[in-house]
Amino acid sequence: MEIIMIVLASILFTTGVYNLLQKQFLRIIIGTALISHGAHLFILTMGKLKRGAPPVEDYGVSNYADPLPQALILTSIVISFGVTSFLLVLAYRTYKLNNTDNMEKLRGLNNE
Amino acid sequence: MVYAVFAPLIFAIIIPFLSRIKHKVHTGWLILPVPLLIFIYFLQFVGSDFETARQTIDWIPSLNIALDFYLDGLSLLFALLISGIGTLVVLYSIYYLNKEEQLGHFYTYLYIFMSSMLGVVLSDNVFVLYTFWEFTSLSSFLLIGYWHYREKSRYGALKSMLITVLGGFSLLGGVILLTIETGTTSIRGMIEQADLIVNSDYFLFILIFLLLGAFTKSAQFPFHIWLPDAMEAPTPVSAYLHSATMVKAGIYLMARFSPIFSEVPLFFIILSIFGLVTLAWASYMAVRQTDLKGSLAFSTISQLGMIMAMLGFGTSYAVFAAVFHILNHATFKGSLFMVAGIVDHETGSRDIRKLGGLMTFMPISATLAIFGTFSMAGVPLPFLNGFYSKEMFFESALDLGGYSGAFIESLITAIPIIAVVGSIFTFVYSMYLFFGTFRGEYKESELPKKPHEAPFMMLVPPMLLVIGVMVIGLFPNMFNQALITHSADAVYGDEVAKDIKFWHGWDSPAFQMSLIVVAAGILLYLTKNKWHHIYRVIPGRFNFNRVYDWMVEKIESVSNRITTAYMTGSLRLYMILILTAIITITAGAILISDGFNFEVQDLAPITAPEVIVASIMAIAAIGTTVARNRIAAILILGVVGYGLAILFVMYSAPDLALTQLIIETVTVVLFLLCFYHLPNLTTNNNSIVHKGTNVLVSIGYGVLMLVIGVTAYNSRFADTISNFFMENTYELGGGHNAVNVILVDFRGIDTLFEVAVLFGAALGIFAMIKLRQDKGAK
Amino acid sequence: MNNLAILPIILPLLASVIVAFIPSKLNIVRKLSQALMVIFLIIVGYIAWLVYHNGVIVTQGGGWDAPFGISIVADYLSILLVLTTYIIATAAVFYAPHSLSDQQEKFYFYTFYFLLISGVSGAFLTGDLFNLFVFFEVLLMASYGLIVLGNGKAQLRESLKYVLVNLFSSMLFVTTIAFIYSLVGTVNMAHIAERVEAIPAEQQGIITGIGVLLFFVFAVKAAIFPLYYWLPNSYVVPNPVISALFGALLTKIGIYSIFRVYTLIFVHDTAFTHQQLFIWLAIFTMLFGVIGALSTNNVKLIVTYNIIPAIGFILMGIGLYSEDGLAGSVYYLMHDMVVKAALFFLIGALVVAAGTKDLSKMSGVIQRFPLLGWLFFLGTIVLAGVPPFSGFIGKLLLLRGALSQEYFLLTIVALLSSLLILLSMIRIFIRGFWGEKMEGMTNDNRKVHALTIPAVFLLAISIFLGVGAEYVLPYVDTISTYLLDRTEYISAVLKG
Repeated sequence: MEIIMIVLASILFTTGVYNLLQKQFLRIIIGTALISHGAHLFILTMGKLKRGAPPVEDYGVSNYADPLPQALILTSIVISFGVTSFLLVLAYRTYKLNNTDNMEKLRGLNNE
Repeated sequence: MVYAVFAPLIFAIIIPFLSRIKHKVHTGWLILPVPLLIFIYFLQFVGSDFETARQTIDWIPSLNIALDFYLDGLSLLFALLISGIGTLVVLYSIYYLNKEEQLGHFYTYLYIFMSSMLGVVLSDNVFVLYTFWEFTSLSSFLLIGYWHYREKSRYGALKSMLITVLGGFSLLGGVILLTIETGTTSIRGMIEQADLIVNSDYFLFILIFLLLGAFTKSAQFPFHIWLPDAMEAPTPVSAYLHSATMVKAGIYLMARFSPIFSEVPLFFIILSIFGLVTLAWASYMAVRQTDLKGSLAFSTISQLGMIMAMLGFGTSYAVFAAVFHILNHATFKGSLFMVAGIVDHETGSRDIRKLGGLMTFMPISATLAIFGTFSMAGVPLPFLNGFYSKEMFFESALDLGGYSGAFIESLITAIPIIAVVGSIFTFVYSMYLFFGTFRGEYKESELPKKPHEAPFMMLVPPMLLVIGVMVIGLFPNMFNQALITHSADAVYGDEVAKDIKFWHGWDSPAFQMSLIVVAAGILLYLTKNKWHHIYRVIPGRFNFNRVYDWMVEKIESVSNRITTAYMTGSLRLYMILILTAIITITAGAILISDGFNFEVQDLAPITAPEVIVASIMAIAAIGTTVARNRIAAILILGVVGYGLAILFVMYSAPDLALTQLIIETVTVVLFLLCFYHLPNLTTNNNSIVHKGTNVLVSIGYGVLMLVIGVTAYNSRFADTISNFFMENTYELGGGHNAVNVILVDFRGIDTLFEVAVLFGAALGIFAMIKLRQDKGAK
Repeated sequence: MNNLAILPIILPLLASVIVAFIPSKLNIVRKLSQALMVIFLIIVGYIAWLVYHNGVIVTQGGGWDAPFGISIVADYLSILLVLTTYIIATAAVFYAPHSLSDQQEKFYFYTFYFLLISGVSGAFLTGDLFNLFVFFEVLLMASYGLIVLGNGKAQLRESLKYVLVNLFSSMLFVTTIAFIYSLVGTVNMAHIAERVEAIPAEQQGIITGIGVLLFFVFAVKAAIFPLYYWLPNSYVVPNPVISALFGALLTKIGIYSIFRVYTLIFVHDTAFTHQQLFIWLAIFTMLFGVIGALSTNNVKLIVTYNIIPAIGFILMGIGLYSEDGLAGSVYYLMHDMVVKAALFFLIGALVVAAGTKDLSKMSGVIQRFPLLGWLFFLGTIVLAGVPPFSGFIGKLLLLRGALSQEYFLLTIVALLSSLLILLSMIRIFIRGFWGEKMEGMTNDNRKVHALTIPAVFLLAISIFLGVGAEYVLPYVDTISTYLLDRTEYISAVLKG
């Protein structure tokens, strides 16, 4: 199963990077979101899947899922959320001010 | 000795304040005693009973860098030149520069230079020497650019800096190699281990690095090009830095290190060839010049070439002659520069075509110039010191031996011929300088000012130098025993006792060479009009100035072209370049170190629901790349996010699932909010290559991650530390949910700063939105 | 057990929250920030003093022993860089009011500023790989907040690229942590190091691969060839004080992280990673950096491009992986942080003085602003590594290291790029400061003066680092010995 998950994460990366290389803001930001999903999936997979009950201490259970990756993912999800929200507003403002959502039109070299 | 070195520097620091307070007196008068006292201090050491002196102050012991001042004959000679001519130059400059100029700056630079130059010749520690060396370059830069509102000054300043600093860095490379090889930073220590250096594997590098340093500083062909442009500096500077002292730093360096290299044929070959080529080329170029100072600059270059060649010859006689000529050149060239400055000052022109017949207006200057130019030309008269060293040069050129090999032997035959040719041109331009300026027809209309003799005090410095020329000429052996011998000893390493004689007899080959030079020189000079067009044609279009200009110009335009080629401002290009680098280098690293591991082990069983969720997610992810509608794209992205949440549920991560659900929902809403106003998605109408690159790079990245992921999963080298958390979550953490306990307790710092990130994001968003509104309100 | 190590991270975080409450009372915020920074600087100085005299201070977060909690490690290297950070930040806080508009200050400049310092200090001090990621995010978030400050067209445009590139590298960072966790089951750096060391040699290939991946994560932040493209334009658009903070601190975090992991964890195959890969990348970084610096007439961009070759020099020392190399890198790192900040300050003052960024439109500025001109000249020669200033000591050690390991090409490139650095900067001096007095210079002499003073402070430190090298070198030597022998760090974290 882990192999399938790794493949899935890699697909998320591939599509994410592909979107990142596009011109329009929306696609680019979708790309970053996909990449973070992939990264989170990777952490979970690397901690081994399905190795027991949720990591909530309980009587009679001796086999738990690895809690550390889950904690790391949680932190990472929240941070990604913060950055993504910022990015969204930034993209919106950039669009408003520069009047384009095309990254390739935002090269702007040595003109100011 | 330390005080002597640093006194000018200390004054350099207080000069700006001095010049601000004292407006009535020329700043020069206030600080004139400094070099004079230093000169007197060093004069004490002169005498046939000379003994070396040494003084050490620790500076950076960790790097073996100490202010280790060591005074031997060679240092003494230079120290006397620096302080002696320094005194005269300061005196001269008092009349040359009037009070309206920024004198504070001028004297600050000049005194920084004086300190640095004294430091160069007195330091035994190579790194201290290097430090002072760079400072001579910098102060020279500032002095050349003194009249920085002139375009040419700026050009000359940059040129001199680039070339001399290039040499400086090369010197640094050389001395570092030397310290690595010998384990010492002391020059004397290195000389003691000369064998070790000569037989070192890096010998060639050491030699080249040091030679490059010396050749650039001492304006040897083809690095001589900075010196003529350095003539934009005020004339006192030209007389001081660019003829008597700084340009001799390279000579000094070679002399200093020659005990190490003297036995090496390559050293002999390079120094002789470059020295002689410089001599011949520059003396020819000097004839072509129309600017007095330009001609003197080339003349300086050629004389430096001559000294360099003599050091290359390396025989005790040649070394002796070289040292002697250092002194002689400083006297006659210094005086000539000063006279040139006087002419410029009093007539307003330095163009030899406009000058002429000044003898009647400026008799004293003219008299001084006669001595200077004739001494430079090597006219055989007993009161001209230039003749002595010139003849010794010929003698040493004739007396070369001790080397074998066909190339060296043919070189040895060629040397005297080149020497004579170079000297003929030297003779010609010397005559040209004097007669062109002071004799011939007076062209009143051409000159901006009515010429008249300079104030007496301005004539004193060149006069003193000319007296030096004559005294050395008449009583050479007085200087010989007191000073020159000691210097030569220091360079040659052995006792070099020489008697300097004026008369060697008619049958002396060196004297015959001198006669040839004089005869041919007179002939060439008298027929000068016939040669003019040749002078004008050769060297024609090609010269090293063009190479320099081309390089400086090209370096900017080529840099610009290279940089704009990839710094296009296109995020896509940047990302593609970054990704390509990551993919290729990482993959390469894994391949090289054979890091793959596909032995699948310890897998969880595959179950249908998971596969279905995974497939949906994969399809959705691919869907985002082709979606045409922005709402659709955002929702498809949501599918991936919710799928992830379901996977979290399946894999026993309920906290994650909850968080993911909430955050995904909020994110989708945010997406919709922000992109509601933005244009809809368009189809890609990019070229195939464009698309292909994108596909290739993204797949490459995916595959790389896949490969590393699989390998990483299969290579477990240690157990996870998580068991600790499970075991202690309640006992130590006080909670049953291990994930929560980790977040708030074990890894509380993570969570604290995660909140800080959110805090920052919130304020950032607020500022972005609010600041605009405020702007709008205005 | 000593909690001091966490102070440099927590104090600015608190300050950042405090100043966020009173954004519009500018006079109070300014004075308060300046006072706080001076106090913080003294505290950090004291901690640094303690570390040098009593050894490494490790704070185990929450009191949990490593590797289970998060270790904050104030060792010789990290505390030195934190101290340097605080020195620069202190200069910056005095520069800011004169450089920023009131609007910019009101919109949380000081909050982001303190947040940035907190993140930077955290990144220097943390001993936990995942925590390093968190601090990266903190400092990046702060830098995002700073870079958009002012909301100019160009600013937003370049910010967007900057955020995207960094977001990508952050995610790569997380992925790499996942890989490392899979291999060794821990995220504490000392613990990782210990476990990696135990891996049998024939299976270390994957470690090399992941190490290179992690290197790229940091290399994007450090602006190493061929990953620096995002840097020049995004550092040029914000206000000089922000550029100075970025130029002096942000890229240095990246190179510091490389320092840390490549002296602590990935040292099993130095012949490949360090002595091949890093050396070559260092060569190209130096070359392309100076080429960039020579390519433009925008004075701010010239200084910005000069960040890149400096990173090349530091990477060179890591690549040499010898006493001289590492000591040289540390020295150069310190030197470059200080002098870069100073130069950005001065360039900011120059742009105000001349009223333009375009070098071809400037001339003769020195006639009106001699102090500015001479400080710039001094900064230039310090940057080029002319003795006896700070750049020289680092360069000397690096070159000695390179030559004693027979890297001749590297040495020649390093010397050549020093020359070109000098050329790129002296152009500003010759064309901008020298020459006929230009039209359109500002009349606000006091403002230019106020913008010049903080640089005096930083350049004085530069001179001290050079002339007084003997006071600093023994510490730096301690650091390089300490870095080459990992046991002290590992035992301090895991057993202390």
